[in-house]
Amino acid sequence: MVLNDVKYLKYKTYLQTYCPYCKVSFNVEKNDLKQLKLNAIYKNQELQLTLSPYLDVFDVESSIPLEKDSILDDLICPHCGKSLISKQISCGECNSHVGEVIISAASKLIPFYICLKHGCEWHGLSKSDERKIKLKIPRQTMPEQDQTLRVHNYEEVPYGYTTELAMLEAGRCLQCKNPKCVAGCPVNIDIPSFIELITHETLNEAAKKIKERNVLPSICGRVCPQENQCEEVCILGIKDKPVAIGRLERFVADYERKMELVEVPVISETIPQKIAIIGSGPSGLTVAADMRKHGYSVTIYEALHETGGVLTYGIPEFRLPKSIVQFEINYLKEMGVRFELNHVIGPLITIDELLDNYDAVFIGVGAGLPRFMNIEGESLGNIFSSNEYLTRMNLMKAYKFPEYDTPKPRGNKIAVIGGGNVAMDCARTAIRNGAEEVTIVYRRSRHELPARQEEVHHAEQEGIKFKLLTSPIKYIGTDSYAVKGMECIQMKLGEPDDSGRRRPVPIENSNFIIECDMAIVAIGTGPNPIIFNSSPKLKRNKWGYINVNPETNETSMEFVYAGGDIVTGSATVIEAMGAGRIAANAMHEKLQKKLNHAKKQKGKKKQIAK
Amino acid sequence: MKEFTSADDILDFAIDAEQQAVNFYTRLAKNAKTEDMREVFQQFAKEEIRHKTRLTSIKETRLFTLSKEKVADLKIGDYLVTVQVTDDMSYQDALIVAMKREKAAYKLYNNLAAKSPTDDLRKVFLSLAQEEAKHKLRFEVEYDEHILSEN
Repeated sequence: MVLNDVKYLKYKTYLQTYCPYCKVSFNVEKNDLKQLKLNAIYKNQELQLTLSPYLDVFDVESSIPLEKDSILDDLICPHCGKSLISKQISCGECNSHVGEVIISAASKLIPFYICLKHGCEWHGLSKSDERKIKLKIPRQTMPEQDQTLRVHNYEEVPYGYTTELAMLEAGRCLQCKNPKCVAGCPVNIDIPSFIELITHETLNEAAKKIKERNVLPSICGRVCPQENQCEEVCILGIKDKPVAIGRLERFVADYERKMELVEVPVISETIPQKIAIIGSGPSGLTVAADMRKHGYSVTIYEALHETGGVLTYGIPEFRLPKSIVQFEINYLKEMGVRFELNHVIGPLITIDELLDNYDAVFIGVGAGLPRFMNIEGESLGNIFSSNEYLTRMNLMKAYKFPEYDTPKPRGNKIAVIGGGNVAMDCARTAIRNGAEEVTIVYRRSRHELPARQEEVHHAEQEGIKFKLLTSPIKYIGTDSYAVKGMECIQMKLGEPDDSGRRRPVPIENSNFIIECDMAIVAIGTGPNPIIFNSSPKLKRNKWGYINVNPETNETSMEFVYAGGDIVTGSATVIEAMGAGRIAANAMHEKLQKKLNHAKKQKGKKKQIAK
Repeated sequence: MKEFTSADDILDFAIDAEQQAVNFYTRLAKNAKTEDMREVFQQFAKEEIRHKTRLTSIKETRLFTLSKEKVADLKIGDYLVTVQVTDDMSYQDALIVAMKREKAAYKLYNNLAAKSPTDDLRKVFLSLAQEEAKHKLRFEVEYDEHILSEN
């Protein structure tokens, strides 16, 4: 075989291979002209094959050139020394034994069959072989900011995939016939299709494919718990790690934004009906985009002076840069969605008043009322709710003081109570704010931490301490009523109850003190009642959340819909978006019926008049 | 403190306590400012009616069991500060009130058990304490699940 004639490796992009034994990947960065060298044994003599990022074919760097129709005996992994010819099968051309080497080019996995007798090249591959090969590619990690540096800044921690890493990761997707990931996504993104588009490096097309179902891909790719949604059901996850769908989504959306390829859909037809949306968080934005695409006139009322809801006031800059949130919102503005800021619906305008001017209303105000534990001393100074702390730091930009005129809540020894993503956000913000010691205090064990593993991992990397199976029972104050410590009690997990959950039970006489000069309570949030005081017709459940018809997300008030945290309690961004999608579909259907009915009535009247 | 000389005395006392609880929650339901909280208190009142029915049945049949099963005590209510009973209290506050009431009843029956002159009476008290512990646990689990969601 003449290696220079290996035509099917003619990709002017990235080449990659790996050893199936030691699993070392040989990544060659696009900007790195370093070449990968493999040892090839040829007629008992060694020569070197070089994989180069921009070469069309294998180059042979050897004083012994390969002769035409010669036989290559082996390829050796330079790391573990084992043969890369992983198996021998029959050559599709001459029926002699062939050895298989796995090569990936432009993320297309290509089995490199080398005929050991005649040197024929053949690359037929069965589906099951392809599957086996894909299982061998390791899940690609995302480069991120160094942990020692990032605790001193608020810049985003993960950098995101490079095109090469994304294509390699996309190459792991099995392209299942019945993909479970699609159903695992609350907005049913066509995941296999967009991933396949990445493997072809048609990244703009991939971005469009995602946008068909999701208007906030840059955001979802960053903050959605994919490990509990689409990635949880990925078939690859049964034997190995699932495809990094979230990271790929983020990569594609970032690529589209950075390359300025975002195209705002042209809304040709305009429907004479008007929609009011309360709250500019993820559910409201989804309804706005969907309804605007249909051609409705859409106005979003936002209580704060900035748009984005929890995306803006809640999630810190280092996890979700605000410029990205604003970019996604600008996309909606360009679509023609109007935003009315500083409008608190309820006291300022009631829902009934909105219905006088709009054909339908969507309530997506989130669950922004902080919960406290209701233990002794909780009203001491320097005890914050997570809402207040994060709002000051994120929305009011206290971290940029004095550029922004918001005082930084200061503390050196900070205790954060809770174990969810919000607790991690508070702790990681506090360490960046200059605290000497930040401790997460959580009642259950590590296994039960509700935060994403990724966030817990980042928090640990940044030096956050974890005091697990610990519950505060009382705050202790100084003479000037500022917190100086917490009396805690050690917990143990009790026997599983009827629901199978092991609930934390205090261990008697295990009380101890955690010293702290600031505490942040991040145990959850509830619904803010402000909107309901003027809308008694809106039925709610005992937790104060709005009751809706789950098929349509319509509330007890006709033409008033609701979705997101104000219906379900604290949930994920994508779940809120999914709820918004259900409401938008139902709203559109009902408004169309109303419109058609009105047209018919008008037609009848005209006939009668004639 | 009231002196108890027979099991009937104890059961009458317990039945009366449950009736007071029914009255308490019924009053809260009547005064509740929102529909959802009215339903919550009506539900609490119904549960107390069930407890009362159970005690009445024990009194009539003389059949009660003192199970060896230990009822878990999450002690959530123990560390919570007392909340004011108001017409517009939240569900969280309602749960705190309920937990504290059940805990008080549990303590009362346990104390009475300790002071019982006879073993039979002691068993009746302990059985009632166990019932109250179960009621408290039901509220604590609800509180643990929804209020201390920690996310």
